[in-house]
Amino acid sequence: MASPKTLPKDAQVMIQILKDMGITEYEPRVINQMLEFTYRYVTTIIEDAKIYATHAKKSNVDADDIRLAIQCRMDQSFTSPPPRDFLLEVARQKNQTPLPLIKPYTGPRLPPDRYCLTAPNYRLKSLQKKTSSSAGRITVPRLSVGAVSSRPSTPTLATPSVQSLTGQRFTVQIPSSQASSTKSATPSTPTVQNVLINPSLIGSKNILITTNMVSQNSTSDSSTLKRKHEEDDDYDAL
Amino acid sequence: MRGNETLLDFRTSKFVLRISRDSYQLLKRHLQERQNNQIWNIIQEHLYIDIFDGMPRSKSQIDSMSGSLAGEAKREANKAKVFYGLLKEPEIEVPLDDEDEEAENEEGKPKKKKPKKDSMGSKSKKQDPNAPQQNRIPLPELKDSDKLDKIMYMKEATKRIRLGPDNLPSICFYTFLNAYQGLTAVDITDDSSLIAGGFADSTVRVWSVTPRKLRAVKSATDLSLIDKESEDVLERIMDEKTASESKILYGHNGPVYGISFSPDRNYLLSCSEDGTVRLWSLQTFTCLVCYKGHNYPVWDVQFSPHGYYFTSGGHDRVARLWATDHYQPLRMFAGHLADITCTRFHPNSNYLATGSADRTVRLWDILNGNCNRIFTGHKGPIHSLAFSPNGKFLASGATDGRVLLWDIGRGLMIEELNGHTDTIYALKFSRDGEILASGSMDNTVRLWDAVKAFDDIETDDFTAATGHVHLSENSLELQLGTYTSKSTPVIHLHFTRRNLLLAAGGCYSPF
Repeated sequence: MASPKTLPKDAQVMIQILKDMGITEYEPRVINQMLEFTYRYVTTIIEDAKIYATHAKKSNVDADDIRLAIQCRMDQSFTSPPPRDFLLEVARQKNQTPLPLIKPYTGPRLPPDRYCLTAPNYRLKSLQKKTSSSAGRITVPRLSVGAVSSRPSTPTLATPSVQSLTGQRFTVQIPSSQASSTKSATPSTPTVQNVLINPSLIGSKNILITTNMVSQNSTSDSSTLKRKHEEDDDYDAL
Repeated sequence: MRGNETLLDFRTSKFVLRISRDSYQLLKRHLQERQNNQIWNIIQEHLYIDIFDGMPRSKSQIDSMSGSLAGEAKREANKAKVFYGLLKEPEIEVPLDDEDEEAENEEGKPKKKKPKKDSMGSKSKKQDPNAPQQNRIPLPELKDSDKLDKIMYMKEATKRIRLGPDNLPSICFYTFLNAYQGLTAVDITDDSSLIAGGFADSTVRVWSVTPRKLRAVKSATDLSLIDKESEDVLERIMDEKTASESKILYGHNGPVYGISFSPDRNYLLSCSEDGTVRLWSLQTFTCLVCYKGHNYPVWDVQFSPHGYYFTSGGHDRVARLWATDHYQPLRMFAGHLADITCTRFHPNSNYLATGSADRTVRLWDILNGNCNRIFTGHKGPIHSLAFSPNGKFLASGATDGRVLLWDIGRGLMIEELNGHTDTIYALKFSRDGEILASGSMDNTVRLWDAVKAFDDIETDDFTAATGHVHLSENSLELQLGTYTSKSTPVIHLHFTRRNLLLAAGGCYSPF
């Protein structure tokens, strides 16, 4: 680690802050992470304040603008849990209902299907003629995994997850293969492996993870990230 | 500052102080003599003085009970009756084997040679007055596979080693290599066949501890082709092509902070910083349900010992009770002043213990959501809890390095075990409750004599009445052994059915 004399001034300030807060043991990377967070936070606030100032038709950014920017950003990203009396009231109401009885002999006890992740999240495109499939790509804005499915239900959309501190993240639900209790499922025709990624979602960390899962799940040799207009034979059913 | 919830709690709720009547009179007289109304006003406004009659406490007693963010527990808080007994084991017919011909019996009765259809246990054992009714909370009935599991459990129990101060358990340590401090949660199944790790890169990995590999169930097309009537249908539904030593489960959006296997080894739960709890199937190795309710990081999740129910506790200071087939929680337990870091079910599944960053442990009744016990005494956030197998005692470990033992029935601290120098992340009682093992960040596993700690509390009724704590100064005598690893903090402990101790941790490799 660089000796304190050669560190830049803001790193020294950060070290001092950590010391004042009573934190004595930390890895050297922590200082860099804290500095990055500080920079991003401050620039976000100042940018917001600039927007508010121009909205109020002021030429300079005012202290009021900064205060407003801080407050809005606080309500948006740094939310804190609800207050205690609210929680106690909600809990009191929730705890009044008796515990539901358990039905016997129901197999796997799962919520109703619309709350589970067991449905397919793709829709089979009808097979085009082999000759002319030059129509442009149809980008379906969801990640599809070819799987044997007996349910032609509407696909579940990728749902955005709840707010997190560092911007939007999209949770893309990967369907499981049918749960083990589907012995009665009628095998459908061998499906086409359609895997499409909405280009605007690329770059989010989760998509990378899920594509890994896709490539793991698929046992076919062909790359799963094929574009739609390529020939649709030679896809192996999973 | 205005919006900070902890501050608001501090300003609105009163700090509880327990003081004897004589001391209180002295204090009052002293302040009135001095005409010092300021202090008196502060006391009136912000302190709740819980007066008890009797001897004032010594400094060590006061020190041991203090530490919580809201003062100590009021006496009324710990007065409710708690059913800490265990539920009766159900009658199971054991098929006659060549080797052992035991029929399932309630505890203590002589074994009969042939299994009998009618329950001989109904007359034999009176209802334990401290045990809850069988139907106090609805519990799932046993399926055939569960009954087979129970028979296996009984068989293993007969081969169990009895532990004691002169017969310490062997410890088998599972070190997670190449985790780069990313290992955040570990769980082992009850029969010690699977181990799962939750990581900071939001994955959950499951390994098989036994030589038997992990297999996924076949796809639906193949399942329709197999012969359903064959003897080994449970083997045939498995797909041999997917056999592997470990499986990786993707789905979470943030580090996975808690995992829990279901008792029937079909499901795995994981909770993470993204505020969700996910249920994974261990037959298809995919995610089945995502329970959304906490909007803040969830720090701990645990299945109930009977399956079907599970709890989660997180940053929003509320613990929730869920059932696997309801997408919303069934109960919410609010009352803590800071995050809930640890949640544990009682062996009879009727009560839930939560440890929190406000340094208290609370015992909640699942039936009506009431808080039956508040235990104060730790000087730091609590990170681990363990119920003794007989259901009477609770052990808790915190960042201050102390393990505290509590008597649930009376609501008192029994013992304070000093020895660790860093946060205790793992606590486990041995299968018969004779030894308590604790694992901590200081890379050690320590074994404590639980029998000795618990056997001298039956005598003192006087202490129970006043709520005083008589701590014996012999925590060193209770320590049976200290075992250090080179640089691996211990984050999980598990006693196998035969009382072998398994420990797990991630190898610490600074670079």
